[in-house]
Amino acid sequence: MSAIHHPGEDLLWDYFRGALAPGLRLSVSTHLDLCPQCRDDLRVFTAIGGALLETTEGVAMSDNALDLALARIERPVDLPEVSDAPAPARRPAFLEGFELPPSLQSAEIRGRYFVAPGVWMAPIALPGEPRAAKTYLMCVKAGMEMPEHTHRGREITVMLQGQYRDHKGLYQRGDFSQCDEADDRHMPVMMGDVDCLCLVAQEAAIIPKTWLGWLLKPIARI
Amino acid sequence: MHFDRALTIGSSVRMISPDSKNCAETPEALITRIAGTRDRAAYATLFTRFAPRIKAFVMGQGMTAQEAEDLAQEALLNVWRKAHMFDASKASAVTWIYSIARNLRIDAARKAKRVRELPEDLWQGDGDKAADEQIVDTQSAQIIKKMLDALPPEQKDILRLSFYEDLSQSDIAKTLSIPLGTVKSRLRLAMTRLRTAMDGKSTGVKS
Repeated sequence: MSAIHHPGEDLLWDYFRGALAPGLRLSVSTHLDLCPQCRDDLRVFTAIGGALLETTEGVAMSDNALDLALARIERPVDLPEVSDAPAPARRPAFLEGFELPPSLQSAEIRGRYFVAPGVWMAPIALPGEPRAAKTYLMCVKAGMEMPEHTHRGREITVMLQGQYRDHKGLYQRGDFSQCDEADDRHMPVMMGDVDCLCLVAQEAAIIPKTWLGWLLKPIARI
Repeated sequence: MHFDRALTIGSSVRMISPDSKNCAETPEALITRIAGTRDRAAYATLFTRFAPRIKAFVMGQGMTAQEAEDLAQEALLNVWRKAHMFDASKASAVTWIYSIARNLRIDAARKAKRVRELPEDLWQGDGDKAADEQIVDTQSAQIIKKMLDALPPEQKDILRLSFYEDLSQSDIAKTLSIPLGTVKSRLRLAMTRLRTAMDGKSTGVKS
């Protein structure tokens, strides 16, 4: 089973050029871990870049550039060997039994708290994240419903386990959903009998639409 | 001729595999020689060929000549140090070098937080693991290169602005004075075509 809902090319492109804020970046890389098709897209970007580099007309380097380059390779490497895979962060006990993709294995996942019966959230600490933005794991017990809400700024959800349905269709592991101000009254409904776990990245807090939502908001910090 | 000399040296002194003899002077062969024997002549050739191009590339993306020169130096130094990780049977050297340069540029931009007009556009990075993983094999690289030439000019323009000037899609729309939707659909068309060519099979339309 592979993902059927993907980030748009515009978002992938901004990911590729390093222009996404940390929460959005994490959600795109989580999707990439689970989606060979989008990894292919990045490979196409890389191949385009390589082809363009190859056909670029160069700008002359300064006169001593080659001498400098040849001198630099003789110097011992004084940097500590950086390992490619970051050490996996200590994994909170409440995540036992969930299969997390590599992107989340090194993420700093904080303690969870329940925002409603059967619904918990666990914030993810990301260096450099703007204050209005929130990134967290959310788990919704099978059969529960999310409060109706609208969005201020983009909200991205990447499904990690279980499934839900909204006005755009069915979402399962790996599926990437993006909502913004235009998506009025977004109301996802959890499906099936498996608990839902998803990664949520919000550019700004979401706005609940019902009085129950307003009551939940201060507790949920969503 | 350079080619002959490489052959002679290769058979007498340096342990060059028959494969690399056949494609001596390709960037793949040069990197393989660097990995195998720390071949400084190969490094000089590679440097001369790619440093000026990397410099030009990142200058187009807004770096000063000095910054670009430093980045080109750093990129080639990385090639030297990581040469043992390069697998010529699996990866295209040009795309590999491009990836290294791209990562350095993103890191530099995040570190400096030297932003032009978008104060929150670039972030301090924790390193994008995905970046180094995008290995493109030589055959795919060739296909993409060929396909690029065959794209309609309006699609090529979008790619050119994306890569050479490092613009987002909304910036491209502003630059070309066309609707954002048009930019998106042109990029999508180009991507679909390139992806299909690379896969050798058609893939589903994205939602």
